[in-house]
Amino acid sequence: MRILINIKNLFISNLIVIFFYILSFNIFESIKEFPNILVFSFNLQMIIVYFYTLKFPDNLGTGHIFLAGIINDVVIGIPLGTSPLSFLVLTFFTTYLRNVTLRSLMLSEWIAFVPALFFSNLVYYIVINNFSHLSFYYVELLRNTFFTFLFFPIFYYFFNSYEKGILKKNA
Amino acid sequence: MAQSRDDFIIAVRYALLKKGAKQKFSLFFLIFLSVITITLDGLSVPFVTSTRAVLNDAVYQVNVIVSKPGKFINYLEQIKKNHFKVVEKNKTLEEEVETLKSERYDNLFLKTENENLKQTLSITGITSIEGDAVILARVVMDQESPYLRSLLINKGKNHNIVKGMTVFSNGYLIGRVIEANFLSARVLLLTDLNSKIPVIIQDTDVNGILVGSGKKTNLFLEYLPENFLLEPNKIIFTSGRDGVLTAGMPVAETYLSKKNKVKIKSLANPQQALIVHVTNGQMNNR
Repeated sequence: MRILINIKNLFISNLIVIFFYILSFNIFESIKEFPNILVFSFNLQMIIVYFYTLKFPDNLGTGHIFLAGIINDVVIGIPLGTSPLSFLVLTFFTTYLRNVTLRSLMLSEWIAFVPALFFSNLVYYIVINNFSHLSFYYVELLRNTFFTFLFFPIFYYFFNSYEKGILKKNA
Repeated sequence: MAQSRDDFIIAVRYALLKKGAKQKFSLFFLIFLSVITITLDGLSVPFVTSTRAVLNDAVYQVNVIVSKPGKFINYLEQIKKNHFKVVEKNKTLEEEVETLKSERYDNLFLKTENENLKQTLSITGITSIEGDAVILARVVMDQESPYLRSLLINKGKNHNIVKGMTVFSNGYLIGRVIEANFLSARVLLLTDLNSKIPVIIQDTDVNGILVGSGKKTNLFLEYLPENFLLEPNKIIFTSGRDGVLTAGMPVAETYLSKKNKVKIKSLANPQQALIVHVTNGQMNNR
């Protein structure tokens, strides 16, 4: 019984890591019968990396970020290491931000997400331009980045309340 | 000034090298590992290629399982749509059957006439390319990323599939194999931005390169002669100038869009493909 409880606690405490890995398999891309969903497509992985590195760095390890990025590359079919590098640049930017911030405000973190996304995507495009012969769908990428930025506050509150709920439960 | 620069350097160094309480790796190490991975992936060393193939196979197998719920949602929605379409389609089909019945007699006459003419000109029947065995494969996943419009099929090098082979669905060309792993392969669709095939337009001797744009209903023709005007309702065939594809396979057709612009759409519907035929260049059973 104790083992089951331990497994349950382990599952709950690592739920975000599991969710992060599932996202790297691009499962939502396979839902094609609802085309309007794709119009508002956004990069939830970027939001998770940014939020967790900023607020709860111990809940999402950089090793997981790297591994999920590798899986993402295999699934999408881009050069191996592109997504991990992009995610890690985002992590680096966010860690720097966390170190220099004295008092965190949701609005300032939301605005700081713009340069974070910019640097992360910049690395992504540089790697793809120089290490592969792939062409981009620029409009889609721009739209994707825009909605990633736009939806950040929703997920900020969602993940924040989720993590605080877990902390309260464990206390 | 010097103080703020020092603070910046300290903060950057801290972010790169400091490990958290539960972190096993520093950011610097992982960034370095990513760069090494990208570099190794860029080199076509046999060891790296086979490692990537094994990694691809493993991830694809897991992906098939993980994407099941999404596919089930698609399936339910498809059933709903199909139900409403069936009655309407039935009516159309009944009308078409009547038309086809009358056309069949004309075709029989033309076929006989054609065979007689062939005999007169001593032309033998079209034979398939030597060794062009058709390999049947199942689509295990279709990806629409901002970078690739591609399919994953459940056959790979172990089933004699090699990079460059052509893939057909319902008798229409849908793409080419761009990555062959041991147990799976990735097919680059015609609709992808990176797909380029030499074609010829119906009733003309104009050659061009058919390029994808990411959408099934919006393909492009490149390298057309100057002042050439594309007409609607023309079939676009492969020209065979690349030496891989057989000439004369229909791949796309022109149509008039709602804004009265002549556009090109693919004849095949890759998103609906479940079973595909992989060949060396032509579809024998067409």
